[in-house]
Amino acid sequence: MKTFSLNKGLVALWYPFIFGFYLCCAPALARNTLRLSISQQQSQVNGTVRDGTSPLSGVSISVKGQQKMVVSDFDGKYVITASPDDILIFTYVGFKTATIPVAGRSVINIKMQEDATALQEVKINAGYYSVKQSERTGSIARITAKDIETQPVTNVLATMQGRMAGVNITQTTGVPGGGFDIKIRGQNSIRSDGNSPLYIIDGVPYASDPIGYNQTSSTFPTVTSPLNSINPDTIESIEILKDADATAIYGSRGANGVVLITTKKGKAGKTTFNITASCGVGTVTKFIKLMNTQQYLAMRKQAFINDGITEYNPWDYDINGTWDQNRYTDWQKELLGGTSQINDLQGTVSGGSENTQFLVSGNYHTESTVFAGDFLYKKGGSQINLNHRSEDNKFRLTFSGGYNAQNNDQPAFDFTYDARSLPPNAPPLYDADGNLNWENGTWDNPLRNLNAKFESKTNDLIANTVLSYELLPGLVLKSSFGYTDLSTAETRTAPSSVYNPAYNITSATSAIYLNNTDRSSWIVEPQINWEKDLGSGKLGVLLGATFQSQTTTRLFQSGNGFSSNSLIYNLASANNVNVLLSDETHYKYQAFFGRINYNWQQRYILNLTARRDGSSRFGPGNQFADFGAIGVAWLFSNESFLKDNSWFSFGKIRSSYGTTGNDQIGDYQFLNTYTTSAVAYNGNIGLQPTRLYNSNFGWETNKKLEMALELGFLHDRIFATVAWYQNRSSNQLVGVPLPGTTGFTVLQSNLDATVENTGLELTLRTSNFNTGNFNWITSINLTFARNKLLHFPALESSPYNQQYRIGQPLNIELLYKYKGINPQTGVYEFEDTNSDGRISFPEDQQTVVDLNPKYYGGIQNGLSFKRWKLDFLFQFVKQKNRSYPMGFAGQMSNQPNRVTNSWQEPGDNASYQIYTAGNNNAAVTADYLYTKSDASITDASFIRLKNISLSYDLPLKNTQCKIMLQSQNLLTFTSYKDGDPEFTSYGFLPPLKVITAGVQLTF
Amino acid sequence: MKTIHLTTKYFLWLSMLLLAMNSCDSFVDVELPKSQLTNVTVFEDYATASAALTDIYSKIRDKGMLTGTNSGMSIELGNYTDELTSYGTPSNPSFDFYNNTILPSTPAIAEYWNSTYNQIYAANSIIEGVQASAGLSLENKKQLQGEAFFIRALLHFYLVNLFGDIPYITQTDYKNNSAVTRMPTKEVYEHIITDLENAINFLPDNYNSSDRVRPNKFTAKALLARTYLYNKSYAEAANESSALLNQTDLFLLEENIDQVFLINSKETIWQLQSATAGRNTQEAAIFIFVSGPPPLVALNNDLVNSFTIGDLRKSNWIKEVTDGTTTWHHAYKYKEENFTATSKEYSIVFRLTEQYLIRAEARAQQGDLIGAKEDLNKIRHRAGLNDTTAITKQGILEAILQERRWEFFTEHGHRFFDLKRFNQLDNVLSAIKPGWNATDSLLPIPQSELSTNPNLRPQNPGY
Repeated sequence: MKTFSLNKGLVALWYPFIFGFYLCCAPALARNTLRLSISQQQSQVNGTVRDGTSPLSGVSISVKGQQKMVVSDFDGKYVITASPDDILIFTYVGFKTATIPVAGRSVINIKMQEDATALQEVKINAGYYSVKQSERTGSIARITAKDIETQPVTNVLATMQGRMAGVNITQTTGVPGGGFDIKIRGQNSIRSDGNSPLYIIDGVPYASDPIGYNQTSSTFPTVTSPLNSINPDTIESIEILKDADATAIYGSRGANGVVLITTKKGKAGKTTFNITASCGVGTVTKFIKLMNTQQYLAMRKQAFINDGITEYNPWDYDINGTWDQNRYTDWQKELLGGTSQINDLQGTVSGGSENTQFLVSGNYHTESTVFAGDFLYKKGGSQINLNHRSEDNKFRLTFSGGYNAQNNDQPAFDFTYDARSLPPNAPPLYDADGNLNWENGTWDNPLRNLNAKFESKTNDLIANTVLSYELLPGLVLKSSFGYTDLSTAETRTAPSSVYNPAYNITSATSAIYLNNTDRSSWIVEPQINWEKDLGSGKLGVLLGATFQSQTTTRLFQSGNGFSSNSLIYNLASANNVNVLLSDETHYKYQAFFGRINYNWQQRYILNLTARRDGSSRFGPGNQFADFGAIGVAWLFSNESFLKDNSWFSFGKIRSSYGTTGNDQIGDYQFLNTYTTSAVAYNGNIGLQPTRLYNSNFGWETNKKLEMALELGFLHDRIFATVAWYQNRSSNQLVGVPLPGTTGFTVLQSNLDATVENTGLELTLRTSNFNTGNFNWITSINLTFARNKLLHFPALESSPYNQQYRIGQPLNIELLYKYKGINPQTGVYEFEDTNSDGRISFPEDQQTVVDLNPKYYGGIQNGLSFKRWKLDFLFQFVKQKNRSYPMGFAGQMSNQPNRVTNSWQEPGDNASYQIYTAGNNNAAVTADYLYTKSDASITDASFIRLKNISLSYDLPLKNTQCKIMLQSQNLLTFTSYKDGDPEFTSYGFLPPLKVITAGVQLTF
Repeated sequence: MKTIHLTTKYFLWLSMLLLAMNSCDSFVDVELPKSQLTNVTVFEDYATASAALTDIYSKIRDKGMLTGTNSGMSIELGNYTDELTSYGTPSNPSFDFYNNTILPSTPAIAEYWNSTYNQIYAANSIIEGVQASAGLSLENKKQLQGEAFFIRALLHFYLVNLFGDIPYITQTDYKNNSAVTRMPTKEVYEHIITDLENAINFLPDNYNSSDRVRPNKFTAKALLARTYLYNKSYAEAANESSALLNQTDLFLLEENIDQVFLINSKETIWQLQSATAGRNTQEAAIFIFVSGPPPLVALNNDLVNSFTIGDLRKSNWIKEVTDGTTTWHHAYKYKEENFTATSKEYSIVFRLTEQYLIRAEARAQQGDLIGAKEDLNKIRHRAGLNDTTAITKQGILEAILQERRWEFFTEHGHRFFDLKRFNQLDNVLSAIKPGWNATDSLLPIPQSELSTNPNLRPQNPGY
């Protein structure tokens, strides 16, 4: 491999050059600026701004024709210097701009009018640029702090659930510190781990690649994700970029959408303190209805009778008399039925002058577990933001820095599986002395796993500085400098005490697994922004470059053989220490991007974006690729024939087409290498082939097309959007599953397959009431999405031939067709589609079931009456999912109580087949086929009261005190029987139902 | 207007600067990760090439068919036949073997298949890498390739015995290996024999490692003798085993039965070293238990009761555990389940006793009954038993089968392969295994394999 050339050094040399350039020009240009003559006597004008009920803080007050600007403070008060003839302009987002002549007065109190239309004036963050809501050509969904504050959640993805069209988010586990699955406009990549969006926090890309290790983060269905480090409380807004127009400027990383997170900024005015404290409880949303002891034992006995066995085996402890057959334990309640205690405290100080503002915040959160045992998740962090602009408004500086620390202490394994499968008459957990009860070695006490612990400590720093200088009017030079540093340390212990004492295992076999992963990155993005009036339109040009470097070091170790289990965390005490992985990987990324925007008379808008990307993840010759998009919009409501229509307030048609890419394949996949296996043999630490070798893979490309219509009526009190999209992802970069005979089970390669995602996204926002005292706003989003495999060369002979079908979604299951129960044998029967007289694989396993949601969305209502405020969100998903596989009924494992309706004798019309203890081979096989048949797929649609929040603002002077009651997942309506319908893999704790009460003080 | 003109000019200048900055593509070239070596570098040097080779032995020890862990053949084929009884919780995967409920989707089946072919890939990678190497001496090349040929033969040998017709993989190219077809058993054996002959040509007589943890020429001969025996090429089998038995400066039958499984046993032909110093075998950790009921497996009572009175193998290689009312037995060939100051036992793959019994069987099959009895009695005497009373060819063959049961229990599934070879599988197992069928003599090809490579279809009969 070639090492760095001198060119890299040369790149760095450009920076002083450019800055030198800035500095040289600034003084020269200063002379050209206009100087305002002060013609009249200035005096102080003051007053209070109100919205009718309460004071409005943060209102910008400026003097017409001057650059001077002040902001109203927390009490709505302002002071500004103006001459008697001046005109004051009051602006505030969401309110109509007020223009008031001073007319010689020294006190001006005003009441501002709310303006639904003004939402169109809101500037939306589009990443490298921001754009007015009304003028955007791309598809961008957005939530703000207002929506986030009502939710008692700790993960940033949780805040978006149900609130955005085209964004489907599923929680994978209810254990704190666990993860979420997000799909923006469906699954584009055949690689299941290649569908993450790009996350950008205040301009700094935030790698979402897992930081866990499967030997340590065994509590979660997927290894630890770094996204938990982001603290929702510090977020001002989240924008999701969806279509080509919005994402093409992110090139190779935009295929799966972009999540832009903007943190809170300080506001000018009086120094404000804000303290919020809340505490609450969390419980599991829903359990499976399982058999009780009587039903269970009846099933077991019947199973042996059915099998023709008269004498129970020595290991059938549940019915052979070894265990008490009168015991009953609700294992779900016992193991998962606890209450999680949640405490949260945050504080913010913000304020500043006209030119310099600051915000400092801190938060601390703890959350215990619903599992048996004492476990705690702790999270704390702080956020600093600093804004400054020079007196002449030419130089601007923004600094944002956030630091978050998490400390998670959990059992090493989720208890959900045990809770569902343990026989209800299994022995008590503890013996009379309070020790773990092993019942003479006849069972694996589930609480043995309390001794096996998972601990995770993650510290995360994200910092970003943006410097900009307005070189000439309309020409701004800007550069952002970002840095991230994340370190995580995880351990999982496997002490000898988790084993049945009958094994006589001592601490000499106790083991600990350690994962130390550190990731740091820097990014520099110099940019030029140029705006120019051209003809009767306005031209905006943006050019920029990106240099990014990321280093990840991982050290996975294990230690075993301790003289005592109490030394297990001391690796030096281990008899054996194995380094399982010691690795340092580099990812380098370079890009050049640009945007040209032309806005003709606020009516026709053209937006062109492009990016040239280079990534170290590809082999020589395949590193660079180009991406680009075109977006157009027609604001037909600004045409003369509609301009002054009284009921039709806004109309826009927009469309975009372009390409984006995907490089989520991990580093160094193109190299043919040997890696250390960390295991010694005959005095040598082993080397193993890393992977199958293929150096010729390149980018995955995603072509996106979108058309949308935006309509506003009655001053935008009714505002609707309809968007249709079609994304086609081709040149699929996949770990192609290979037969084991190749030596490996996957190969990294481009597959000439095309995946299409189409969908229709509808949003509707209505302002139902808008009076002084009572306000009611309803927002609805609804998404119909369809995923389809369009093209797959030689699918039949490919390794995917039993996974995908052309014309069908990616997320399908190929299943046997269930026919019913044979009335004579009582065994499940399946369609013999190829009529060969038996159920054969794969010929008969061809029934396609789509597991993607058919549609999903949310209905949000925000009501306020005087000092009361009520917000609630219903999330709904129409989908199918697998029922929980419990194994064949009759074995020593509990079953859902609906399985009591089993076949008993010829002629029975039962829902479930004959019980067997395992000797009825036909029944065991049939049960296996059943779990692979369409009978195992069931409706898992749900409507959930995702969030509800009620607050009351106490009538206090000088201090704002708000009392809040919030809840997440309070109610769930579903016909799904096997627990909570929201899951991605079986046997993990479902999302929790959380209720919290809190107080917010602002002074 | 002048200002505007100026902005345009500046803008164009700056844009060019930005473009210039970006014109150097080498920013995205990265160095190799520190934990990886290119496959060329690995074979430049004997130490790294050896590390790549010996890693396959660690893999064989820890994963797949020959591992001493609870997923290896020693335990699973014991469960599948009449050697072991499964205990423990229903989640114990051994029950699939014990209850004869193996399905094509049973994870243990895919595990055998995939880890074995992964080990074969590693062996092929050695053969190819060494071939292309410029830095290795001829002697080193022969050593490395010889061992790799042996590994390839050994793994295919077990695959063909478990799964029947299987692909014989001799290269690393995934394009070929992903579309391979099943090779008839007869041809698989021809390939095994060719690979073993190559190994015999390449490998030295002496061990190039202490404690016999890397195979030498005679290890390849030991497998060749077994291969010929399984193929009924009795003269060749007898020849190969004689070659080993005559090598008395290297191999001797241990007189003391307690010495057989120790690290320095003179009858060991090849053994797998433990992962770390002081560690002993995984077999000991799995089979030994101190109180009942057994957590995993115990020896089948039929086996325990079948021993002749006075058989030292029963008294020294089997241990009884009782809770007062019930009695269980566990294999006690390997005695060290915990760490010791230095390792005392390694997992033995080939030992001399088998060569005696191979030759005994080969001789009997060829009509040399006296020679056969001589070899058989050697093993009986060591176990404290008298001469065999068998007289006829059939009787002697039956005595050999019985002797093998006593001698090789819980050692890599000998019993299963012996019953199969003697056509006794259905006879012995249909009585004790629920739903036993003649087709159960082969394991199913893993389901995942049939879906990813349709050329491997159809599935073995009965699955």
